Amino acid sequence: MSRIFGIDLGTTNSLIAVMEGERPQIVADPGTGNPLLPSVVAITPAGEVFVGERAIAMEPHLTVERDGRMHAIGFEGGEAGAVVRSVKRYMGLGGNEVAAEDRHRYSFADFTGPVVRFAIGKRTFTPSQISAEILRALKARAEAALGETVERVVVTVPAYFNDGQRQATKDAGRLAGLDVVRLVNEPTAASLAYGLHQMAEGRVAVYDLGGGTFDISILNVKGGIFEVLATNGDTHLGGDDFDRLLVDLLLADLPPELRLDRHIWNSARLAAEAAKKRLSDRDEAEMSLKLPDREVHKTITRAEFERIADALAGRSLERCRMALADAELRAADVDAVVLVGGSTRMPLVRRRVAELFEREPLCSLDPDHVVALGAAVQAGVLMGSRGDMLLLDVVPLSLGIETMGGVMERLIHRNTTIPTSVTEGFTTAVDNQTHVDIHVVQGERELAADCRSLARFKLGPIELQPAGLPRVEVTFLIDANGILNVTARDQRTGREHSVDIKPSYGLTDEEIERMLEESIDLGEQDLEQRMLIVARNDAAQLLGALTKQLEEYGSLIQAEERAQVEKCASRLEGARNGTDRAYISALVEELNQLTTPFAERIMDYAIGRALEKKSVEELS
Amino acid sequence: MVQCPSCARPCEPRLTCPECGAPLGVELDLFAALDLPRRLALDPRELERIYHEAGRRIHPDRFATATPAVRQASLKSTALLTRSYRTLRDPVSRGRYWLELAGEKLAENNKRVPSELAELVFEVQEQLGELREAHNGSANALGAAIKTRRAELEGLVTTTQEELERNFARWDDGAGERQGLVNELKSALSKIAYLRTLTRDVDRALDSATAN
Repeated sequence: MSRIFGIDLGTTNSLIAVMEGERPQIVADPGTGNPLLPSVVAITPAGEVFVGERAIAMEPHLTVERDGRMHAIGFEGGEAGAVVRSVKRYMGLGGNEVAAEDRHRYSFADFTGPVVRFAIGKRTFTPSQISAEILRALKARAEAALGETVERVVVTVPAYFNDGQRQATKDAGRLAGLDVVRLVNEPTAASLAYGLHQMAEGRVAVYDLGGGTFDISILNVKGGIFEVLATNGDTHLGGDDFDRLLVDLLLADLPPELRLDRHIWNSARLAAEAAKKRLSDRDEAEMSLKLPDREVHKTITRAEFERIADALAGRSLERCRMALADAELRAADVDAVVLVGGSTRMPLVRRRVAELFEREPLCSLDPDHVVALGAAVQAGVLMGSRGDMLLLDVVPLSLGIETMGGVMERLIHRNTTIPTSVTEGFTTAVDNQTHVDIHVVQGERELAADCRSLARFKLGPIELQPAGLPRVEVTFLIDANGILNVTARDQRTGREHSVDIKPSYGLTDEEIERMLEESIDLGEQDLEQRMLIVARNDAAQLLGALTKQLEEYGSLIQAEERAQVEKCASRLEGARNGTDRAYISALVEELNQLTTPFAERIMDYAIGRALEKKSVEELS
Repeated sequence: MVQCPSCARPCEPRLTCPECGAPLGVELDLFAALDLPRRLALDPRELERIYHEAGRRIHPDRFATATPAVRQASLKSTALLTRSYRTLRDPVSRGRYWLELAGEKLAENNKRVPSELAELVFEVQEQLGELREAHNGSANALGAAIKTRRAELEGLVTTTQEELERNFARWDDGAGERQGLVNELKSALSKIAYLRTLTRDVDRALDSATAN
């Protein structure tokens, strides 16, 4: 069976990693050597897809060409094709849940449906479909680099992702043709990567500030068991928000219509991001933006930046305090603090975290790599190679049902260890009622309407009986991925009821099936990519086998024949990491033919030996 | 008897199959799930040890490549294990669960004030009312007074809990008059539940006072 890979599907960058022996290893792009894949997806009007650096080059921006004139280049969105970045911000959201400041950034199909849809070219794309392209690119990268197929993966998600956001991530995996064996919370994965299982017993806080999301998890680590005590976070707080502060500053003096122009906005974003990074090791940074009729310059000092960014850092610390309270701990009770996510490179963030926990945080691992490394470790646990380790995660938000008067009745409290289940009895309110409607919600507010709707379902048909007599038991089970499963049973007859759940947000199974079919239609370039991988795998296998055969059965091949075989093998060796699929296939074919007589002689020899052995055994 | 989803042998309903060790995925009472006798006094460290040890063996992560039936059983059994641990770890929820198993019903709502708490509750509610009305200047002094109150409530919870655990041990040892002991357990449990609700009210009032 193929190995399980670990994937960090990040807001800004995504990575893929795998266990190599005892250690997790990031799989870098075999061409560029870059371990990070920018989570940026470009879709042309014709439906062609590009991911990563190539997609970034297609983002709308302003540039000065050699003729000295200013050009607006890249895909603006809508009919003209689009480049989507930070798609994770939109995962699992309904159309009406797109934040106001995000609405002008892309062309959306509508703001009412149960799923956000980007309008690109002549089609619409859900966030899961766009994320699937990132997953597909990671899969192709690992397959090209390692010459093995990637089928089963562990994918990380922010700990504070709700049921809908988790489901959308699983859907993305399915659309990419991957079996998502497990979703793991990012901070929990990070704690695995830090090798904290060697700790006899201790409490660990993982502060994870990524490109778009923030998580804090407090864990108790004891004898290889990682037990999450509490988690909290904000799925809309991350490096992007710090960039926006600088964008606003840079564009402050422009008229509003220019500020919303996608070419200008994105050029400003690039300048802002670069300035933010510079301010992590310098006291001052300059941002500049060339527009057709003017140039905008702004200089910002680190002190000024920290003054305007302090409220964002403060929001994350507030979440830390809430997590500590839920874990019934004081900040000083924490034995180690781990920093995760590229945004923790900001000195402001490091300082504020150190102040809160009264200790210097650990940051020996690259904050951009640590989640993917942890995902690979968890993949190792699932493959059975790490029997000493076990993750016990929690559900981040309470789950309940809407009761009379619209009050939310909590069935599973936040920070309950998962998997967990609760069984609740339901009955009828009027005589001969045939169905009971159940509305499942997730959140911490008192009224169901203020929580997030997860799903609605109808129990029934129920036998005709006076009110209050029927008893239907409904079991709400949250699995190790943090995803809800519902089953129902008639208590009197013991019969299982089918539960037809209609998710309030997200995709139905039928919609996913349809998207899968569409992606096969559109998958020409995918097909070519897949065939290249198959050819490379064939080459690797053939060359590997040949090396062994030449070593073991060297006596069965003539010098002249051997020279011919080796010449062809070395040509294939040189070609197999290239991209000319037809050439690789042709060489594989040629080498196969050349080595057939040799292979036959080996077979004859082996059969002869087996017969000899057998006759000796029969004799004795 | 149930059939083990992994080795197909018939066995007694337990957390795991005695033959192959795979989780059976059956519902059990929470004491049986942890293979414990129905005792009221439990050592939390021992409880944690049992929970971790069983978790290592039956968690779905151990069966990622098993058949769907075994995976489902692992999921169900682990959910049961978690629920058992969480319920029995806390003396109050353990006591409530034990009474439920013994067929003793505890009043569902905590609306009725236990008589020995009446005076205290009245004073606390009055203070909270004043805090809600208060303006910036006086709120600080009131807040401090309420924080002292909160500590007092917590102290009361601790002593009631100690009394509860002493009675747990007496019950397990077969000491004392049985029905009288059950009544004492019930009253201590109601008292703690009420005090916890009151402490939460105090926290909420303090939170909104600092937020304003």
